[in-house]
Amino acid sequence: MPRLLFEIGTEELPAWYVARGADALAEGLAGRLADLRLAHGAVRTFATPRRLAVLVDDVAEATERRVEARRGPAEGAAFDADGRPTKAAAGFAASAGVRPEALVVEATPKGRYVVARREVGGEDATAVLPTALAALVTELPAARKMRWGEVDAAFVRPIAWLTALWDDRVLPVAVAGLTAGRETRGHRFLHPAPVVLAHAGDYEAALLAADVVADRAARTDAVRAAVAAAAAADHAAAGSAVADGGAVAAAPDALIDEIVDLVERPFALLGRIDDAFLELPDAVLTTVMIHHQRFVPVRDGAGRLRPRFVAVANHRVPDEALVRAGYERVLAGRLHDARFFWQSDRRKSLSQHAWSLSGIAFQKELGSMADKVARVGVGAFAVARTLGLSDAEQGTLERALPLFRADLASEMVAELPELEGTMARAYASADGQPAEVALALEDGVLPRGPHDALPASRVGAVLAVADRLDKLLGFFALGKRPSGSADPFALRRDAVALARVLAAQGWRVALDELVAGAALGYADGSVAVDAGVADEVTAFVWDRVAALLADEGLPTPTIRAAVAGSRSVVAAARRGHLLQALAGLPAFAEMLTLYKRAANLAELAVPGAEVDAALFREAIEGDLHAALPPAQAGVELVLEAMHAQLPAWDLGAGPSGEVRGLDELAAEVLRLKAPLDAFLDGVMVMVDDPAVRKNRLALLAAVAATPRALGALEHLSG
Amino acid sequence: MTFQDLIMTLDRFWAARGCVIAQPHDTEVGAGTFYPTTFLRALGPEPWRVAGVAPSRRPADGRYGDNPYRFQYYYQYQVVLKPSPADVQEQYLASLRELGIDPLAHDLRFVEDNWESPTLGAWGLGWEVWLDGMEITQFTYFQQVGGQDCRPVSVELTYGLERIAMYLQGAEHAYDVVVTAGTTIGDLRRDFERQHCQYNFELVDTDLQRLLFDRFEAEALRLLEAGVVHPAYEFVLRSSHAFNLLDARGVLSHTERQAYVQRVRRLAESSARAYLMLRGQLEEVA
Repeated sequence: MPRLLFEIGTEELPAWYVARGADALAEGLAGRLADLRLAHGAVRTFATPRRLAVLVDDVAEATERRVEARRGPAEGAAFDADGRPTKAAAGFAASAGVRPEALVVEATPKGRYVVARREVGGEDATAVLPTALAALVTELPAARKMRWGEVDAAFVRPIAWLTALWDDRVLPVAVAGLTAGRETRGHRFLHPAPVVLAHAGDYEAALLAADVVADRAARTDAVRAAVAAAAAADHAAAGSAVADGGAVAAAPDALIDEIVDLVERPFALLGRIDDAFLELPDAVLTTVMIHHQRFVPVRDGAGRLRPRFVAVANHRVPDEALVRAGYERVLAGRLHDARFFWQSDRRKSLSQHAWSLSGIAFQKELGSMADKVARVGVGAFAVARTLGLSDAEQGTLERALPLFRADLASEMVAELPELEGTMARAYASADGQPAEVALALEDGVLPRGPHDALPASRVGAVLAVADRLDKLLGFFALGKRPSGSADPFALRRDAVALARVLAAQGWRVALDELVAGAALGYADGSVAVDAGVADEVTAFVWDRVAALLADEGLPTPTIRAAVAGSRSVVAAARRGHLLQALAGLPAFAEMLTLYKRAANLAELAVPGAEVDAALFREAIEGDLHAALPPAQAGVELVLEAMHAQLPAWDLGAGPSGEVRGLDELAAEVLRLKAPLDAFLDGVMVMVDDPAVRKNRLALLAAVAATPRALGALEHLSG
Repeated sequence: MTFQDLIMTLDRFWAARGCVIAQPHDTEVGAGTFYPTTFLRALGPEPWRVAGVAPSRRPADGRYGDNPYRFQYYYQYQVVLKPSPADVQEQYLASLRELGIDPLAHDLRFVEDNWESPTLGAWGLGWEVWLDGMEITQFTYFQQVGGQDCRPVSVELTYGLERIAMYLQGAEHAYDVVVTAGTTIGDLRRDFERQHCQYNFELVDTDLQRLLFDRFEAEALRLLEAGVVHPAYEFVLRSSHAFNLLDARGVLSHTERQAYVQRVRRLAESSARAYLMLRGQLEEVA
């Protein structure tokens, strides 16, 4: 069966769109083929900065033949007294495309109706595909499209050509002022002549011959190999100058991904950095290299930056020295600028920079950054008290607070915002601040994004928590909470960061207490942060905790049980995994049954009522009461094992450990079962004597509460 | 190739492609995009082709001449083609070949750049053109100018003349670029740059510039009211420059800065609407 090739040739696409565009094209085409009822085989995508393409194997030559049935008027309305079709029936037949005598009558649950049956399908694929492919181009989803010239179309970048082949035949797809042909284009500079395809199946090989690696995976491999080889060449050249382990290209995946979508024919070159620039902090050097130039940093065996970088060009250049010199000069210019900021910023101490925070707005109603940091200070001390920070840690916090976020006033951060925190640490260190203060300043702004590192220090984590809570409380108090998908102030991101920090620190402190502590920052009344706002923020953070636990693969009822049964984030996360582990045990089903039997009646209990042994009237009551302490101890053991065996982790990534020995521990809890059964079978709870009734309900409540310490079991069906 | 040869080569290249070779505008602008020959002419349906040197002032970008690439005063070479031709990338590459830049010998790339001017209410999509990792040109398809949709779409090519000349001459610093035999850019601009940096960063009378901004803004509004768009637009440019000086001097808080940006933007958008209205192009003025 024929192969279908469709390529959208463009002016250079944004790197971030290349892979997405190809996926969208494949998905869109598969959808259209399904709508057209054209069966097909495998779909392959190709994507470079200048093209998005799909190659589909074994496409059916014609659309699937099938019978379409349409229901018309009721039988009574369709035929006159003589059995001849009425006007209504004739009109229906015409609209359905059949002759009136072809109408049949069928019984349906609603009565007897005329039905028109018609065979449809069987259209030649080449007749229907051009329109479908043209529509695919105009409807291809993209975040931001543009217009060009006088063309009546919008796309991510101007469309330069279209190629559409049905085996060896051209499909005349017409869109954006262009008509598809059999010509594609090779590498912009190495192969300027058009590439004429005899057959759809020639696509990949013909482009390779024209210096384009169209297969994105193959191009990724080529980039990785070329970068590694260039870095290895530095190692070989440096010889003994480089310590053990040599030179390794330190390329984050995101950088490799971007490089892959900036070239059609990768070629790597090793360049040199003037040693003088190595005085700049590591993070400044790598940010400039990666963010501004898409150069790959090189590190030695000990992880130190080498004064080298690897650049990936779009083709093998004839004179490498010429291009290398260009790369080196432009990087030197950038680093020169960074050093200008570094030196200029350091003319002031970080605490002098902090004075400028009053001139930087945080949010109109919430004041300047200086106002914000002052509030964070109040909140941070409240959080620190809740956590029980050591005296030394409190001292570090006191020294860090006046400098917190002061690097926002620096020129370096104004120019390279992704270095916020990193620069605070670097400038604080340069000022001679103690290492733990400098570290706390950087930690306090972490994580800056979903993939960023978490604070390493407790003091930094306190700052990070207080800073996020201050923002959430302030914006919620102003009524600026996210609605639906709209989250203009990125408050969800802050709540996720907060949840991750709290979980990773393993702090077993109640979330609502932390929120209440941070709310003290607003005690001056500048913005009304009342208990209602605090409750909203707490609930908002819990929602993010639940979402992160869902990312870890936990089912929704388990997450609900874990969150509703916990006050601290880390306990909720651990409970989620504990309940998931318990769910696999037969004993857990029994435990749930036990819980439900007790909880059903216990709903009528007076909250907080104590069990009074003096009011027991039957031995069974005493037996059940006596069974409680060992069962409670069993639950305690389960929870202790949970906390001990699940070390704190980065929420969303899942725990590294698992809770073991649950079978034995569950058996302890289940010792309640026999006395409870005996109680429920042999004792009348709802007796007339109010004191006895109240006491029996209190006993049942105590029984229900015992397994419920594992989680809010009412959310689980057992 | 000397600096002035470079300019004359581009002039001849674009003149041969039907461009008006415009002489520099005489009011301070932050970039060629502010030129009335770009900003106003990008509006409306009339075809338009223009090229030429656009001297630009960006007070905050000055580095006292210490940085080889960054200056508060520099030359852009500005080309605007309306409607954007289908082969505009090829035309641009041909202009580089004319300058002696062979794309085969270099690593030449079109890297995504989404251009936006908050003060002009303008945005466009396109690229930075990288020559061996150095940005030498901004290449933008205007989508909106002064808050108005562009139909047809203009393309703007902004060449960084000093950078290209540095590359061609192998100069380490823009000051080393030879303008004509015996004279370098440094000879012409060294004192000018240093003194203006001193002015921008240290000596700007901020009370005066705040006052000027207010007066320029009021004058622009008065002239727009009077239906004279071109003089009004001059005062938009002047208020924008007053804002740039205040910004460089570092006296604007974030919020204050935003407020000034909004004020210039309102003026630019009013100018664009007035320009279109006078041309009978805008059916309804909000």
